[in-house]
Parts: sequence; C-alpha cells; structure tokens
Amino acid sequence: MSIKIKNINKSYSAHEKEVKVLENINFDINDGELICLLGPSGCGKTTLLRLIAGLEKANSGEIYVNDELVSKPSKDRGFIFQQYSLFPWLNVLDNVMFGLNLTNESKEENLKSAKRYLERVGLSDVENNYPHELSGGMKQRVAIIRSLLNHTPVLLMDEPFSALDMQNRHKLQEQLIGVWKRFENTIVFVTHDVDEAVYLGDKIVIMDKNPGKVKKIVDIELPRLRNRESIEFIEAQNKVKNLLDVGD
Amino acid sequence: MNRKKFTPLILPIIILIIWYLITSVFNLVTSYVLPSPINVFESAITLFSSGKLFTDSIDTLFKVFGGMLFASIVAIPLGILLGWSKTLEEMSSFVISVLRPIPPVAWIPFSILWFGIGTVPAIFIIFMGCVFPILIYTIDGVKRTDKVLIEAAQTLGAGDFDILYRVMLPSAVPYIVSGLKVGIGIALMCTISAEMIGSSSGLGFLILTATNLFDTGTTVVGMLTIGVIGLVLDYIFGKIQKQIFW
Repeated sequence: MSIKIKNINKSYSAHEKEVKVLENINFDINDGELICLLGPSGCGKTTLLRLIAGLEKANSGEIYVNDELVSKPSKDRGFIFQQYSLFPWLNVLDNVMFGLNLTNESKEENLKSAKRYLERVGLSDVENNYPHELSGGMKQRVAIIRSLLNHTPVLLMDEPFSALDMQNRHKLQEQLIGVWKRFENTIVFVTHDVDEAVYLGDKIVIMDKNPGKVKKIVDIELPRLRNRESIEFIEAQNKVKNLLDVGD
Repeated sequence: MNRKKFTPLILPIIILIIWYLITSVFNLVTSYVLPSPINVFESAITLFSSGKLFTDSIDTLFKVFGGMLFASIVAIPLGILLGWSKTLEEMSSFVISVLRPIPPVAWIPFSILWFGIGTVPAIFIIFMGCVFPILIYTIDGVKRTDKVLIEAAQTLGAGDFDILYRVMLPSAVPYIVSGLKVGIGIALMCTISAEMIGSSSGLGFLILTATNLFDTGTTVVGMLTIGVIGLVLDYIFGKIQKQIFW
C-alpha cells in the first residue's frame, strides 16, 4: 500500500500555549517500501507515525493510504509500540490471535496459522507463557507476529527495539528484514538511531525539531542484508549523520 | 521463621491475660458489663454443641453472599459502562456521590416498606452497603486501562464493543476483585443492622437477643465469630488476588 502525506500540520495546546509539533509535512511512501523516520527527540516523528495510524488527528492536511483518507485506526495499519503492548491476561498464543479472533474466521484455522508463525520466529516454546514471563525482545517479536498474523499490509513501528541491548536489537533488525521480504509490507520505522536507520531503510526521512519538519530524504541503495562493517555502510552512516547535524 | 509465625499471637495472649485478671481474679467489673474469658468459653461450648452457632453463621453468610451477588450483578456492568463513557459518568457522579455516604442502616425504614420483614430486607441492606465500593472500584479499574492496550486493540481492528469486552473488562478484573474484598467487609459490618428487621436467625440476631437478655458471653461469641468469618474471607480473597497476575 502506498502512503501519501499532504501538508500535515499538528500542534498541541499545553498550559494554554500552542506548541507546534509538525509543520507542513509532505512526502510519499511507495508500496512495499521500508522507510525510516529519523530525528532527535521532539521532532514529532512519533506523532507523524500516530497520524498515519489514525491514532491522532492533524490540525490540517491529509494522509492517504492507497488513496483512502485516514480518519481512524484500522487493521490495515498495524502498529508496534515502543512500550510493550501485549495483553497481560492472555498467553502468547491468544495474544497473537487477538486480531484474528475479532473476525468470524474459524478458531481452528486461526490456531494453525498462529502456531506456524510462532514456529517461524522460534517462539513455539513460549506459546503458552504469559507476557510477564517473556524478555523484552520476545515481547516485541510477539507484538510483530500479532500484527503480521492480521495480514496487515502496512506496519508502523515506533522505536520498537529501543529498549533492547545491542545484540538483541541487531538480531531483531535482521529478522524484520526477513519478515519484510517475505510479506512485502510497507513499513514505516521510527528511530533516533542512525545505525538502525541506515541498516533498515530504503529511504530515510531526516527530520528537524522546533517545529518538526522534514529536513531531507535520503535513499540508501545498499544491497540486503547490509553489512555494518562495509565501507559503503559506514559512508552512508556518515552522510546521514552529517545531514542530521546540519544547522544544529 | 518460627519466631515470625508466633509474633501475631503475642498481643492476643496479653489481652486475654489482662482480660482474665480484670474479670475473674480481681473482679473489677461485673459479668454483665464485661464477661470473663471463661464465661465466653462456656457460652461458645454451649452454642457450638447445640449447632446454633453453625446455623446462625450459615444464615448470615447466606445473606452476605446474597447481598454481594445482587450488588455485583448491578455494580459490575454499571461500573464498566460508567468507566467507559465519560458522559455517563459525569451524568451519574452527583447521584452516586450523594447516595454513597448514606449509612446502610438508614435504608431500614424503606427496606421494611418495600420488602417487609425477614431475609429479603436484610439482603437489601447488605446490598446497599456493598454496591458502592464495588461500583467505584469497577469504574476506577476500567478508567485505568493502559492506553497502549486500547490503541493496540484499535490497530488490530477492534471496535468499541470489542475494546470494552476484550480489553477494559479483563484489565479491570484486579480492581473489581479489590472492590469485592472491600464490599464483603462492609457486608459483614451490616449484618447486625440487617438482622434487626424481623430476622429470627443469624449472627446479628444472636448478638441482639443475647444483649437483650444480658447474656454478654453469647454476645462476645457472636462478635468474635463475625470477626473470624471476616478473617477467613479476607484470606480467601487475598489468595484470589494472588492468582491475578496482571
């Protein structure tokens, strides 16, 4: 699914003062692309992602997903939150089936596909465990499976790996690329980490703060899976870093 | 470990000794002002062996659970609704705030007018005592539902009713159980006033008749029995709360 972001403005009122979070945001995302939104905290990247999800409303401007105006959340736009968002009273299996169980499809089919997906990412052993028994990385993998199992064509990810240690973060980034290649979703990935953005993104939307706006959009044309030690990777990283720092 | 286990027993033993000294050894007060521990023990034996203590306890528990049951049937669904809809909560908050502080005993005249005498008005009084804590806790639990969970459900395709039933209700369960625990304590406190209305059995009735006959030993046995029942129910609810891990 393609996403068109047109003239988005968003402000919050705090203590009777208007704070501008996003100013005049315009860009398009092609079907099947993996886009990273990169910027310092306070640049409104999370707000932009929530606007695409329909979890918040813009003051002006529109967002179209496949030419349809976004007005409220939909299962077509799965969201992976920075905080853990599994239902604590459901075990892993019931958590990943949450979306499927809302529809009237047969429970048996749901169970089958849930087990298949969990096996694929190596979570079969914990399918009967509850969220509080899982590590942070496991929780986020379960959350991703929960959205994928819902056949979501768009996956919106809000710094999902920021709480993990580096080893786990790299592992999950690699798994995400695998998932993306297999399911061909459109992914919008918010991060403040240059390394993560360069590793994941087809394009990186570099954002600036006060108020949040798009500074520059960079294409990263490195083959997958990317090698962090290659000269090209480090060059791309430096280029993005410089663009991020311009004007600061 | 053993030392820790016995610590809670120290104070009751001291109280028992002082009580015994005042009433039986030094005869500082007469038995109808304060019965001696031996008096109470004798009354307990009599009440226990005749089976009266048992039937009265069952009778009171029946009323307590009856009142709790009706209170839950009313308060839990209502609380979920009010916690969910800000408008409904604002509409009802004034009425709830005015009704809530009214002591359950104050409902006695109406309970007689509406339900006559016997078990039903007693259940009504207990109902009035515990419906508000269950309601307030349920509203609170629903309102405290983690926003992330609601949003996660929305992005997974959940509608308003799905969110109410599949997210807010389970999320409120720990609070609802707390409400029930508070409610059951209040229900026990209401038993005496509830059984003042034409009841012919129950622990409240037992205490009232014994007091009228200056049988202070039986009065104390009745009081302690309510206390012990409260202790046991509290323990059971504590165990249930431990089962809820979210």
